This record gives sequence, structure tokens and C-alpha cells, in this order.
Amino acid sequence: MHAARHHETHARGLRQTAAAGCGLVDSRRQEQAAPAIAFRNVSKRFPGVVALHGVSFEVRTGSCHALMGENGAGKSTLGKILAGIYQPDGGHIESDGVPRRFRSPLEARQAGVGIVHQELALCPNLSVAENLCLSALPRRGVVVDREGLLTQAKRFLNEVGADCDPEDELGALSTGQTQLIQIAAALATGARILVMDEPTSSLSLAEARRLEQLIAQLRQRGTTILYVSHRMEEIFRSCDTVTVLRDGGHVATMPLEQTNPDDLVRMMIGRSLAQFFPAHAAHAAGPERLRVEGFSSPGKFRDVSFSLRAGEVLGLAGLVGSGRSEVALGIFGLDPAATGRVFVENQPARIRNPREAMSLGIGLVGEDRKRQGMVPEMSCGENVTLASLHCPGGRGVWGRFVHCPLCARKAECLRIWDFIRLRSERQWVAKFFQLLRVRAASPDVSAVTLSGGNQQKLILARCLARNCRILILDEPTRGVDVGAKAEIHRFIDELASAGHAILMISSELPEVLNLSTRVLVMRNGRVAGILDRSEATQEKVMQLMAGRNGASQASPATQLAQLAIA
Amino acid sequence: MESDPQTLPAVIAAESPARPPRRRSRFKETGLLGVMLALGLMLSIFGGSLQVRDRDTGETRTVNKFLRADNLDKLAKNTSFFAIMAIGATFVIITGGIDLSVGSIYCLAAVCGAMFLNHFGPRGAGAGASPVWVVPMAILICLGVGTLCGLLNSVGVVWLRVHPFVITLGTMAIFRGVAFVMTKAQAFTHFPAEFTDGLIRYKVAWGGANLFPVPLAIMIGVTLLAAWYLRRAVTGRHVFAVGGNEQASLFSGLPVSAVKLKVYAFSGLTAGIAAMIMLGYYGSASSDAGKGYELDVIAAAVVGGASLAGGRGTALGALLGALIIQMINNGIVILNIDQNYSQIIIGTVIVLAVLLDRVNSVFREKRLSRAAQLVKESRNEEASESKS
Repeated sequence: MHAARHHETHARGLRQTAAAGCGLVDSRRQEQAAPAIAFRNVSKRFPGVVALHGVSFEVRTGSCHALMGENGAGKSTLGKILAGIYQPDGGHIESDGVPRRFRSPLEARQAGVGIVHQELALCPNLSVAENLCLSALPRRGVVVDREGLLTQAKRFLNEVGADCDPEDELGALSTGQTQLIQIAAALATGARILVMDEPTSSLSLAEARRLEQLIAQLRQRGTTILYVSHRMEEIFRSCDTVTVLRDGGHVATMPLEQTNPDDLVRMMIGRSLAQFFPAHAAHAAGPERLRVEGFSSPGKFRDVSFSLRAGEVLGLAGLVGSGRSEVALGIFGLDPAATGRVFVENQPARIRNPREAMSLGIGLVGEDRKRQGMVPEMSCGENVTLASLHCPGGRGVWGRFVHCPLCARKAECLRIWDFIRLRSERQWVAKFFQLLRVRAASPDVSAVTLSGGNQQKLILARCLARNCRILILDEPTRGVDVGAKAEIHRFIDELASAGHAILMISSELPEVLNLSTRVLVMRNGRVAGILDRSEATQEKVMQLMAGRNGASQASPATQLAQLAIA
Repeated sequence: MESDPQTLPAVIAAESPARPPRRRSRFKETGLLGVMLALGLMLSIFGGSLQVRDRDTGETRTVNKFLRADNLDKLAKNTSFFAIMAIGATFVIITGGIDLSVGSIYCLAAVCGAMFLNHFGPRGAGAGASPVWVVPMAILICLGVGTLCGLLNSVGVVWLRVHPFVITLGTMAIFRGVAFVMTKAQAFTHFPAEFTDGLIRYKVAWGGANLFPVPLAIMIGVTLLAAWYLRRAVTGRHVFAVGGNEQASLFSGLPVSAVKLKVYAFSGLTAGIAAMIMLGYYGSASSDAGKGYELDVIAAAVVGGASLAGGRGTALGALLGALIIQMINNGIVILNIDQNYSQIIIGTVIVLAVLLDRVNSVFREKRLSRAAQLVKESRNEEASESKS
């Protein structure tokens, strides 16, 4: 009790400084008003895991309050408790000074709390307008009032500044637009408090900027925002206060201008960052592993040419939609319309499907771990060896069946005839677990129980187990916590120095700049330029991404170019 | 270089870690076995007993109504058709597909076999042909027709990219229609005795009753093979992978189409095997054979723990699922429950079984998250150690 009171006074003090620091209107009034939301000793247990224990802090009305922490720190759980999706096991929430208990998302919504999910929580098969007014469809008798629906929807869309046709099917829109529409939908229900759970994790830079502006507008109107994110930059741009959680506990709540990114990271992981990000080692480039010439696919990318040498990390930068991932899929044999020449180890290769790509030693770690990577029903170990159950020896019936026991490549083979050698498999898995420091209770637990970083390691291990010498990593650290991110960065570095050729696609410029030997920038499906490590700076890459000549580009690109210059 | 990475030969040649931890038991059918034993126990206790006259000595004895040789044998025989087909269906269901045409494939295979056997039977035009080739031919026809029908399904699923529900719904009607046209709605009987009494209906006298061990033996054989295949074969692993996440399987370079081709063909093959047993056991077939079996088969697979969402299922589970459904059928007779209630009871059991499975998986998740917590704790310890 005493601690709680102490905390309260402490928080009030902070609030004061924050309000003064931000130059917000009438700090005096702010001080007197009850906080929009106060968490009091909130706890939540999941079977076997304590997701939150005794978290207490306040969110000032009209502020944008950042919630930070590693994956598994409890940020999303807290957001979901506020939105009524989960119920706390202990403690309670106060809204405007009144203790509340939201037993369902509906109750939370009625109390003015809206949530914008990490994943889409709308109906992709309905139109934008229908989604926006889903909870209260205007109607005439039993029929939906089409006109009323459209005017209402247009009003909501204007509010967030989304320029899309309310009659469009939601599923046809880009992620950025659907994100805006989610916000519009939350506001449409009269939300005064918005929970945004990693809203920018799948947005392009320009879309993220748009969201930032919107947040500023919303705050002016007095909406309170609880902003859950990993991204330091946007937090420092959009938010005024930050709360850091670690392992389900509250670490600190403070105004952002009293802290800096390094401190925040230290609070999040409990250690300093320097221990985590090792200096990038320069590698001597070896022989050429992959060369792509005049690679095109109608509507996706045109005339892409580059070469990739052993020991090199070729960073592939570009805005979302610039054709980065499409090129990767094309090389991997997943684009039947792709034309052009691909050379693997200086041999011309026609890759028609991933099977052929893998037998040439090309491995792809897809951008969407859930859809393109993990097999949730299988154990971690089985996920690792999934791609390695092929026969590396002969082809055809003779090689696979008759010759099998005499095969010279037994050491890199997990099968005997059509059967898996389970003991060897377990040894392999144990080795790769050790090598990549995969943290799992046992190789036999289901892969879904692992954290994002460990899942990513499993998929990386899958490619390594298949002995892929050319690795295409598409967003290798998306949705991965800081610790695992640093580990994956180190693996990429080590793999390159061991002679692998790595093509790394990433939306995070620091990642690209830090890890790459060279940076290939794509714009509108074309290669905008290839920069050497020495000449690749944030400004240069951004200019190439957005187009140097702003006037000739689309509006988001213009915005970006200006931004890059500023 | 302490962590000199990472080419495969280097990794494999590296010092092996202390013996990898032993694989934990993956036996998932404990619950089903329990249900089966409980049902058996219940039927033995409440089924009551029966007076039978010993054929040799003429004495009357009291035997348990459920636990007597010929009842159990009948149960095994009834189970065998469904269990075998349910194993095929389980393979399909693990890949996330469904095969509604098994009943019709079963019928078509049976009718083709029956026409062949009838032709070379005692009253047919080809009477007197050597059983040495007639019997294997008949078996080959049943299995071949089944496999072929299954392949047709897979062509639709893999190349035409139509949802398996739709394709097999269509072929369900088509195969039965073909059987109907072929037979002109007649039943075919009078098979060579070498196929019926000499093979499938091979009799063993034991405990004063005639037992027919062949269907049971085939069922056990198919189950063991399928279980072994699913657990150990590369293709078996691929079946799980494709069902668990098709796109991830594609990205891992698995032959997704070939896997699907194989499972539908296998489902057809199991229908062919069941048809062969039926022909030999009953000695006749018509275009009505196996009507509605597809649902019984899918029910058996689902009761046996196969997940219609794909990625989960076992061969032994399918067998136990079929057995439990047949035991209930059997129990309805033994307990003198009105036959009219049987469908209601079986329907209830299917729903209950799936519910039970879900409860079980919730417990499993709890266990897993507990394990995850342990890992987290050890990680924290590690971190604090490295700090100090």
C-alpha cells in the first residue's frame, strides 16, 4: 500500500515534468485530471508462465505512452488486458480514476478503449465501409442503409486521412491502409484510449510516417494512446512517456526526454547494448556463388542484375513493394513468370521450384515465419531437419534404393532407403541447437512454444542442415527481441566469414548498413543502385530508395526524399 | 576459431555433444486405449452371459456375452473394413485434405473384383480356371482399382487445384455411378472357393467357435506398416509437414504435389484392401456396397485423433477409433438397446471424443508452457552467471 502511494507521488512528479517538457497545453489542468488509465498491481498468469506480476503505472490523458520490452516481457498482454481481451488475475485497472473491470472487448469498447492489433482483426471479405460500421450498421428496417453506410464510412475515413474507396473489399488493400482503417474502426466506436500493438511492424517507411502524423493529430484531439513497439526511432518521435517492462515486471516509467535509446535498451534487457552488438567483421570475398542477369517478372521487377560472392553479405534495401521479396522468391523458383539468367557457382541454372533451388544450395528464410517457415504441429527437431531428408547421393531408383547403403555421402544423409535414421537425426538436431544456441526445453517440444528469435534460428538451422551455401534471408530479425536479434546478426556475420554467400533483405536500414558488405537498393522493381560498404550511408540509401528526383516519383517517395534530406 | 561455423560436413564432423537426450515417448493413444478398455470392461460386466451348447460334447456352458470368441471375432471383422480405410483417410486428413469417395472406391473395387471372380467362379463362363492365377489376379484387381481411383482424386486435387472436398464429392458420385452401370444393379456371387473359404474366410476352430483370423491379420498388418511408415519414413514425415504448413513445406523444398498424390492413392488402396476382405468374407458384391461408409471412416479417423485442420493423426489412433465405434455398435446389440438409438449414440460419441481430444491438448499445452518456463529460468540463471 505504502509502495503504491509512493509510486503515485513519483508518477505525478514525472507527469508534471513531462507535461512541462513537452510544452503541452495547460500542464496544471493535466496534473489535476485523473490519469486516463492507471494500472494498479496488475498480474496475469498463463498456464506455467507469469506474464505480468504486479505492474503499476499511469497513463496521462492525451499522452502517447510507449510500452517497451523484449518479446515476452508482457507488453502485448498488458495491452490486451486493457482492451478486455484478457482478464487480470490480480490488481485492477482505473479509468479516469474509477476502478474498472473489462470482462470482454465489448465492455472495454463501451468504456472508450479501442485496440489496433498486430495482426488484422477485421473481416477481409467485407467492404471497408461495412468493416467500419460493423458494430452499428445503419439500416432502414431490416435492410442496410447503403447511402448512410457510405457517408458514415467516408466521415470515419476522413478522420484518419485514409484515401480509399469505402466500397473496396478490405482484403484488397495494402497493410498500411488496413492499419489506418483499423484505427478508424476503433475511433468509430468512440474510443478515447487507443492501444496500438506494434502498429508499424508490417508497414513501409512512408506508411509508418503517415501513422506518425495521425498519432499527432489524435493527441491534439485529446485521445490517449498506449503505444506498444520495438522500434526506438518511432517511439522517440511519437511518444512523450515510456514504460519499460522486463519479464513481466515493471522496470520504469519516465518521460522520454529524460532517457535515451541506450538506457532504454539496457532497461529492457538488463544489460548494456555494447555486449550485444559486436563489431562487424570485414571478410575477404571469395569466388562468385550467384549471379543474376536481366532478371524480370512482369508487374513485379525488371532487369535485375547482381552478383553475390562467397563471404559476402549483400543487403537488399528498398521500400515495401519495391520488389525485394519478389526477386528473392523468383531466384528461389517460386515465380513461374520470371525470366532472365541465373548462374549458380558460374553454372547457368534453371530453377523452376524450391526443390531445385535447394539442391543447388540456395536456401530461403522467408519473411513470414508463421506462414513460410514453421510447421506448428511438428517438434523443433523435426522442423530443423525438414529440408534435409532428401537423398544427397544418386538420383533415381538406383541411387536412392539400391545403391543407398554403399553411398559415399552417408555422413551428410539422414536416411536409409526411404526411412529416417532417427538417431542420426537427433544428433544433427542436437548439434544445430548447440551451434545456433536454440533455447528449447527439448528438441521434442512443439515449435510454436519457442520465442520468435528461437523459431527464426530453427529455420536458419533448417537451411544450414541442408548445406545451403547461398542463403537468402528475408527480414531475418522481424518480430525478434533485441537479444535474439544481436545473436542472429552475429550468425549472419559468422556464416559469411565461413564462406556462405548471403543475400539479406531488410526494412531496417541500420541492420542493412551494419551487416552488409554491399547494399543493393531497389526502387519500383528495378535496381536503383549498388553501394559499397564504405559509401553506403543512411542518406544515400534512402535517396536511392525513394528516388533522387522527387518530382518524378509518387507522393510517398517524395515525402521520403524530403525526409532523407532534412 | 572457437565457433568456426558452419558448413554441414564441419558441423557433422564436430565433436558430438554428450549423447542427445532420449526421445520422449511419443505414444499419443493412451486416452483412446483407456476408452477402449473401459468400454470393453463395461460390456463384459453389463452384457450378461449366454448359454451355449458345445458342438462336440453337447454340453451347455455359460459364457460372457461380450467376451466370447465368436463375438470378439465378429467385432474384429467388422472393425477391419473401417479401420483399414480409416488409416487411409488418416493419411489424407493429416495432409489437411479429405477423401469423401472412399465408400464409392470401396464399392467400385469390390464390384470389379466380384465381376472377375464371378466370371471365373463355379457358375461363370471361365469356370475351371486355375486358382493359382485367378486369386492373385482378383486381389490385384481390387487393390489396383482402388489405387487408380485414388490417383484420379489426387490428379484433381494436385493439378486441377480443386479443393479435395469438392473433387472427392464429385468422384464419390462418379465411382458409384460407374459401379452401378457396370453391374446393371445386379449382385455378383458364386466366387471360387479358393478365394473365399480358402483365403479370406479361412476358418480356425477354437473354443467351440469358428474364427476367421484373416481380416484381423490384414488389419493389424496394415496398421503396423502405416504406423511405422508415418513415424519413420521420409514420406511419412513429409505428410505431416505438408499438413502442418503447406507453404513452409514448399519453402523447404519438399515435393508437396508428390506427397499429396501419394496420400490419395494410398487412401484408394486401403479402400481396395477393404473391398477385397469384404468380397472374400461375404462372397458377394453389388453397387450398393459401402454406401455411407465415407462418413464412418472419417468418424473413425477423427475419433482416433486425426485433426481435420491437418498435421495430426496416427495409424494406431485410426484403428482404435474404428474399434471404439464398432464396440459401441456391438454393445448396442449386447445390451439390448433399441437399434433405433444407435445413430444417436454414435454421433454423441464422436463429438465427445473430439472434445476429449481438445481437453487433452490443453493439458499438453500446459505441460509445454511449463517446460518453456523452465527454459526461461535457466536462461535467466545463465545470464546472471555471465554477468557475475
